[in-house]
Amino acid sequence: MPRVQRQATASWTGNVARGEGSIAPASGTFEPVPYTLASRIGKPDGKTSPEELLASAHAGCYAMSLAGELAGAGTPAELVAVTATVTLDEVEGGSHRIVSSDLRARARVQGIDEEALARAADAADEGCPFSALIKASGTVTVNAELEGSDGD
Amino acid sequence: MATDRRAEVTWRGDLMSGNGTIDRVSSGVFGGLTVSWPARAEEPDGSTSPEELIAAAHATCFSMALSHGLAQDGHVPEQLRTSATVTFQPGEGITRIALAVEGKVPGLDDDGFAHAADQAKANCPVSKALAGVPEISLDARLVG
Repeated sequence: MPRVQRQATASWTGNVARGEGSIAPASGTFEPVPYTLASRIGKPDGKTSPEELLASAHAGCYAMSLAGELAGAGTPAELVAVTATVTLDEVEGGSHRIVSSDLRARARVQGIDEEALARAADAADEGCPFSALIKASGTVTVNAELEGSDGD
Repeated sequence: MATDRRAEVTWRGDLMSGNGTIDRVSSGVFGGLTVSWPARAEEPDGSTSPEELIAAAHATCFSMALSHGLAQDGHVPEQLRTSATVTFQPGEGITRIALAVEGKVPGLDDDGFAHAADQAKANCPVSKALAGVPEISLDARLVG
């Protein structure tokens, strides 16, 4: 398959503490959105952050990966819902690090049990290139459950 | 203090013919964005993709780290404009990220800017999280 390129452009004005920026995706799928340091490490206050964009990327990647695994096993999902929570934390030496991405998936699939879903969920984690990348910096945890099961 | 940011995605159907939406994010700044495999692996056709969002994450993280480094050295930037281009090889993953930054920074020379940009590339948290990408390139230039 051919190589695929995707681009986004960020602007920034001023210093990190009081300055602000905006980010625009090349696809035009959303309008330029603002980001600031205060909204990155405090409350989002209607502004995005690198970690929120990473969470969006990881949730999107993992949802596709899980849908692919379930279809490959002959049990395509009617619906897969994934929430990714990315955590930025201060580490030794005062620098910041992305320490974890926590994936929670809920799947509506006919004819499979929790064990088969767990296998597909693990395979999807291995198959999603972002999971592998994030593991260089932090941990990736996966929890998957069938819709209508006890934890739902 | 740890900071959490969250995103919620729904996918319907299989990988190749199904499609999904990024329903909501912590900030509420976007939502209801369509994603699909053809839009990810072929032409975007107005849809975002995980790779585009990674490009956005990296461009924002790099810009903040660079503004911080420059200001610490006494050179608050008037403006930084950063693009990140993520190359995705289906079946393989992200093979390359190209960062390009144009800066308006009063009183700083090209070498000083290039050095600060290198530091930002090495140290921003998203760069560290993407350290497994085979190649991350950087083109930094000052503009009038």
